[in-house]
Amino acid sequence: MDKLKLFAGIIVFGSIWGFAECIIGPALNDISLPSGAIMTGFFAIGLMTMSRMFYKQRGMQLGMGLVAGTLRLFNPFGGCLICSAIAIVSEGVIFELIWYKISLDLKELKTLTMRLSMGIISAYCCFVGGYIVTQILTPLVSSAGFYVSNLVVFMPQILSRGLVAALIGGVTIPSILLLKNIDISSIKDKIYYPTTAAISILCWVVVIANKMFLLGA
Amino acid sequence: MFIGKEKIIPIFAMILLLIGIFSSVYVYATQVNTDTITINGKTYTIDQIFSIAEPRTFESLNFSGVALDDLIIKTDVGCPNCHKYNIIGEDRYQKTVTWDNMKNGLLTKDGRVIFSDLPKAFRVRNVVKIEVI
Repeated sequence: MDKLKLFAGIIVFGSIWGFAECIIGPALNDISLPSGAIMTGFFAIGLMTMSRMFYKQRGMQLGMGLVAGTLRLFNPFGGCLICSAIAIVSEGVIFELIWYKISLDLKELKTLTMRLSMGIISAYCCFVGGYIVTQILTPLVSSAGFYVSNLVVFMPQILSRGLVAALIGGVTIPSILLLKNIDISSIKDKIYYPTTAAISILCWVVVIANKMFLLGA
Repeated sequence: MFIGKEKIIPIFAMILLLIGIFSSVYVYATQVNTDTITINGKTYTIDQIFSIAEPRTFESLNFSGVALDDLIIKTDVGCPNCHKYNIIGEDRYQKTVTWDNMKNGLLTKDGRVIFSDLPKAFRVRNVVKIEVI
């Protein structure tokens, strides 16, 4: 795989993920839906699985997490900005760790049981792991500091909330793997680069314009 | 005996689902529903709290309520700057803050704690207890 093509893929998939976190996540929250679980179980896991399937490259999902986390920092909506950005990057790291032993052609995921199981494992671990990491790191960068007891007493809630993400992930991965596999390296450069650039720019422009609009309001 | 990925992965998924289910049952069974807030061992209604403590507003954050530092002083906590404070929500979400943070904090009418000098992760909803530690 051409490195530049992979880089463009990281930017475009990361930007779509970041856009979803900034625009769709807060909207879900506003209508009292479990936005964190939906964002992880559907958008994060869906986009990371799709990119692994199309690009067949390890490390790409970590890059996507960094792009999405950076874009999340631009968004003035919703919950804690720094915690959300940390959680997104953590999800990229955790996904890479879980999928490290899965072959790049995904040959282990032939049966529905395996697809469903990987969906549950990926979504649950990404959600719970991201939540825990952010609960540790966010207080550390604040003046209040981190206390283990605060995390321990809240662990049942975190483990409980992960259940919704796991169930969504269990549907997302089998659905994504039903898509027709695309050979990215066969796409002509004159189509691939303008398309990825346009989608990425659109995502960033919408998020930044949204921030400017809210700051002006 | 070697167990392949085809067996380990579904078993691990089942274990995670069971952890999620049992945690949900535990959370549901132990949840606290109360209209009062316990501060340093004494219980107050939200109206009592609003009648004893000074108001505070964070205009830039669009929140108003009562000043947390004044609330601590009015509830007879001795040497307030010698302690740390555990703010505990009904879902057991809790954050430990310093006296300096309390001086930049407020409690809203709907029982939410806001700090102007801390990330949003420190906003505890439906506060049921403020522990002095």
